[in-house]
Formats: sequence, structure tokens, C-alpha cells
Amino acid sequence: MSYTLIIAEVRRGVFEERNLDSAGIAALLGKEAVMLLPDGAYQTGNIADTIVKVKVGEEVFLNPLNLKNILEKVFTARGNPDVIIFTHSSFGMESAAYTAGAFGFPVVTDVSGYDKERGVFLKSYYSDKIFGEFKANGGPVVLSVRSGSFKEFAAEKTATRVEEIEGVAPVEGRTFVEYVEEEKADVDITKADFLLSVGRGIGNKDEIPAYEDLAGKLKAVLSGSRPVIDKMWLPKPRQVGTSGKTVKPKVYLAMGISGAFQHIAGMKDSECIIAVNKDTEAPIFQYAHFGIVADIHKVRDKLKEIMG
Amino acid sequence: MNILVFTKRVAATQEEELRIRDEGASVDLSKVPFKINDWDNYSIEEAVRIVEKTGGTVTAISIGDAESDEVLRRAIAMGAKDGFLVNSESVFHDPGVRSRLIQNFIQKENIPFDVIFTGVQSEDDQFGCVGGILGAVLGLPYSSMVIGIDAVEKDHMIIRRELEGGLQERIKITVPCVLSIQSGINEPRYVSIMGIRKASKVERKVFKAADYAAEAGPGIEVVQWAYPEKKGVATMLTGELDVVCGQLLGILKEKGVFQ
Ligand SMILES: Cc1cc2nc3c(=O)[nH]c(=O)nc-3n(C[C@H](O)[C@H](O)[C@H](O)COP(=O)(O)OP(=O)(O)OC[C@H]3O[C@@H](n4cnc5c(N)ncnc54)[C@H](O)[C@@H]3O)c2cc1C
Ligand SMILES: Nc1ncnc2c1ncn2[C@@H]1O[C@H](COP(=O)(O)O)[C@@H](O)[C@H]1O
Repeated sequence: MSYTLIIAEVRRGVFEERNLDSAGIAALLGKEAVMLLPDGAYQTGNIADTIVKVKVGEEVFLNPLNLKNILEKVFTARGNPDVIIFTHSSFGMESAAYTAGAFGFPVVTDVSGYDKERGVFLKSYYSDKIFGEFKANGGPVVLSVRSGSFKEFAAEKTATRVEEIEGVAPVEGRTFVEYVEEEKADVDITKADFLLSVGRGIGNKDEIPAYEDLAGKLKAVLSGSRPVIDKMWLPKPRQVGTSGKTVKPKVYLAMGISGAFQHIAGMKDSECIIAVNKDTEAPIFQYAHFGIVADIHKVRDKLKEIMG
Repeated sequence: MNILVFTKRVAATQEEELRIRDEGASVDLSKVPFKINDWDNYSIEEAVRIVEKTGGTVTAISIGDAESDEVLRRAIAMGAKDGFLVNSESVFHDPGVRSRLIQNFIQKENIPFDVIFTGVQSEDDQFGCVGGILGAVLGLPYSSMVIGIDAVEKDHMIIRRELEGGLQERIKITVPCVLSIQSGINEPRYVSIMGIRKASKVERKVFKAADYAAEAGPGIEVVQWAYPEKKGVATMLTGELDVVCGQLLGILKEKGVFQ
């Protein structure tokens, strides 16, 4: 029987909210939605027709090598699904690719749209400047879905069946050791009312003091996009985005940030977003309340000049 | 330790206006500059650092057109010993096709390795798949989002994977394995024009992609290219710079974050 298999993401006892996006696209696909998750007391809600609990711990389930063996069991019991859905996160990106490789299935990642009539999946290219409409030649097709893209379609099911399957022996090739927490922060950017956030567009490290100065004059806290943190121009706790912090200040002033989804996911709920970028087509303008197309250094210097 | 590092030449589109051609059939990249994929730059650096400590060699491999030789020269300038170009003038959008091509290439040419590095993702296609599919088809342990390599032993490595919100997990992975390297793992060394010129003297080997093509065709295909749906309602501030900046300060005052 045809079904959609949702690989749920759980971490440290928490059923991740982005699983709603997996449930959402499953609802659009319209087949029986079967959700696979490790055994445990997770708050899943009724978003699938069937929940299959695998008798393994979280760390075993979240390892793509083990997941492959778990999936083999599921496929033997139920037959192949039509579609396998992962979240487009650290876990999902890794396991979607590995699963596709292990079973020889086609894969489309970072899916943010689905056109049922044409059977095409929309996938971002060039940091959202262009989208590719992809079709799979045969199946089952493996997808990883962008968080925020489909959650509104997740339907509350009237009845969710729960089944259990036996676990697998953990592989030895890759084993979990421990979690490592982030370094302590000097300031907590999640508490700031006003963030001045700088991106790769500032050009080089020598520009940082001038933006610190601007932030000081504006009484804003300085934060940044990932490349700024990767290059060590600002410390890691100042990073906004999926692999950094999620912020909701009153004002988020983004300078020289293009607006990749991993960044947007960390700041889109800010009360007021103002973007300055020299590229008229920068995706961040799609999320901003106010936009300025200009050279950020000139804007910076002019603001300072006006404030005196 | 012998490390194979996959390096891709990608279009640097961040500041470019992109246009779709031929009724959605292609994207015009003719005026766009190209560069090394950012994630691959970090992975070359990481490989070179490991080899500097443990001995062995780094081999940079690229699948692409003749121009991709540029990223191989750059990798050699950073410390790679060899550069292999698996030459094809067509672009393989399906990461599965690229991974199987790489598998066939490594196996047919008998290329020895202990570890394979890829970047977490290509800047252009953002698939984040080639490393994972490759690990699976080679039957090797795999990890993506590698943000730290804490220990390198003969038979295993201790690495850190990046998760969400600043959290990481430490894992033990046996060697041989495939790792996808996340940006920020190190500070890639500076590469001078002189360095690249010197690297040009090292011979790069060229192979024909057609000799390693997988039997199965692509699993996915692009039906057409499309512009993003415009959802923006941003009010654009336009005019002279002092007017625009004055308006900006006005908004900040109105929102109550600036006096
Ligand atoms: C697993 C994973 C997790 C990630 N997590 C995060 C995350 O938490 N946070 C995050 O931010 N990113 C994250 N990323 C990276 C993300 O995909 C993008 O690469 C990144 O957000 C781009 O940062 P940017 O906008 O600063 O740089 P770019 O995309 O390079 O954009 C720079 C912008 O500056 C503009 N510009 C350049 N010069 C000027 C000038 N003089 N004046 C005006 N404008 C100028 C350009 O037009 C361009 O729009 C993650 C990626 C992956 C794969
Ligand atoms: N054409 C290619 N040539 C060399 N390496 C590649 C190529 N395509 C992908 N890769 C490697 O695989 C990683 C992930 O690519 P992707 O799956 O396209 O996002 C990249 O960072 C590269 O290391």
C-alpha cells in the first residue's frame, strides 16, 4: 500500500517543531502518513495517521548508519514508501543524503514548495535567487524540507495508530560520545531590543570597529551572519540563524546580509526588519519591512555624521 | 593519512543579477564570476593541517569543465600534493550522479585514501548531498556538519558535529570514512597570486567523466527554473543618502529603540 514515511527529528527528549513541515508536505502528498521515531515520551501531537516507534534510544536513531538498518526493517514490513521526508536540518541533511545513497533512491533537499498537479518539488538554488522545479524519475524519492515552508498544511488527524518495532544493534563505525554546549557569551543577543547585524558584505575584519562604533551610537547590540562568525570577526554567541541564535528584537537592522534561509529562520519574527544591501535582488528584501539599496559603508558613515 | 578532498568551482552569485533563459530551460551565468566553493576551502585547509601533523598526502579532485583546473591549482597552493580533474562540459544537477561518478572514479583508478572530505554543501545548488551519498555507496561511515576534529588516530577519529542553536555533538568515527566539513572549522590560509602561479607548475591529471559514468541515469531532473515568488512588502527608502538615513533614524525613533 502506498504511504509517505516521515522520519521525525527528536533531540534531547524534544520532538522538534520543524517536524510540522514534514507533516505538512505529507498532507499535501495525500497518502497515508507514517511517522517513524525512536521510543520515548515525545509530544508528537496527532499529525500522522500512524506512528511507528522504534525500540532504540535517540542517539542510535539520529545516526544515519543505524537509520539505514532501521529503514530496511520498515521497508521489509510495509513495502517501500512513495516518499521519505526528512527535515532540512543538521540531522535531516545528513540522513537524507545517506539514505538516498544507501538505497539508491533519488533525493531533493531543501524543498520549500510542492506543485501537486505537475508533481514537481521546488528547491532553492543560488541562495534563493532562483528556484529549480524538480521531478523524480521513479521513486521512492527522499526529500528534506525547509522549516517554515509547509507547517500550515499539517492537519490534525482524528486517530493516530501507534505501532512498535524492535530496534537494531548499533553500528560500530560511528558512535555518539557526548553533547558539547556553546561557549559562554559576553552579551545575550536574544535579550536585545535593537540588533545591528552585519554580514559578509562588510568586506573584512578591519571594518568591524566602525560598525561597533555605529552600534554604540545607536545603542544597538552588534550581531552577525554566519560568515562573519566563521571568519572570527565576531564571537560565536553573536551569530544569528539556525546554527546560532533565534532573535526577536523590536528592530533588526541587517547590513550586508543576503538573506539565506538559515539566517532568515533566526530573525524573521523580529518586530521590524530593516535591510541595507547594494543588491536590489537580495532575498532579505522579501522579509524586510523597510529596505535601502545602498553601499552599507556609506550608510554607516552618513548615520554617524547625522548623529554627530 | 591520505585524504581526498572534493573541490567544486561555483558561480559567485551573491551580488549578481541572475536571469533565466530559454523559457526556464537554463540560468544565464555567462557574466557571473566563478570561485572555489566556500565550504571546500575550509575542507582543503583542514585536510592540509591534518597531513602536516600526521604525514600522508592531500589530493584535490574536481568534477567539472576545464576551468575547474583553477580550484585545483588553488588547492595545490594551499598544500595539496595532486590535483585531479574529472572533466565534463555538462553540469550534473543530480548529486546522486556526481557521487556515483566519484565512486566509479575512485574504484576504477584505484585511488588510495584513508579519509574523504567534501564540503557540507555547494554554494550554488545547496544540495548538501554528495558526501552522504558517497559515504553510503562506498559503504563507509559518514558524518556531515563536521565543525571540529579533536583527535586523529590510525583507526578512528574523534570529531564534533554541529547541530542547531550552537549545540554540538562529539562522535567517534572509524577510518576509513567520509566527512563533510562545515564552514568555520578553521581559518583557511591566504592564497597569493604568486602561490597559485607556483602551483601551476605541478602537473594536474585530467580524466574523462564519460569513462566513469554510472549505469543508472539521473534520479531527478530539473523541469524548469523559476524566479522566487515575490512575497515582499518592504517599503523601500529611496532618494539622497542623507534623506534615506534621516528616514531610517526616524523609523528607529518611532519603534522606540533610539532617542
Ligand atoms: C547547516 C548550515 C547552517 C547555517 N547556519 C547559519 C546561521 O545560523 N546563520 C547564518 O547567517 N547563516 C547560516 N548558514 C549559512 C547561510 O547558508 C549563508 O551562507 C549565510 O547566511 C550568508 O551570509 P551573508 O548574508 O552574510 O553573506 P552573503 O550571502 O555572501 O551576502 C553578502 C551580502 O552583502 C551584500 N553586499 C556586499 N557588499 C556590500 C556593500 N558594500 N554594501 C551593501 N551590501 C553589500 C551582497 O549584495 C550580499 O547580498 C548556514 C549554512 C548551513 C549549510
Ligand atoms: N562537481 C563537483 N566536483 C567536486 N566536488 C563536488 C562537486 N559537486 C559536489 N562536490 C562536493 O560535495 C560537496 C557537497 O555538494 P552538494 O551535494 O552539491 O551540495 C561540495 O562541498 C564538494 O565538496
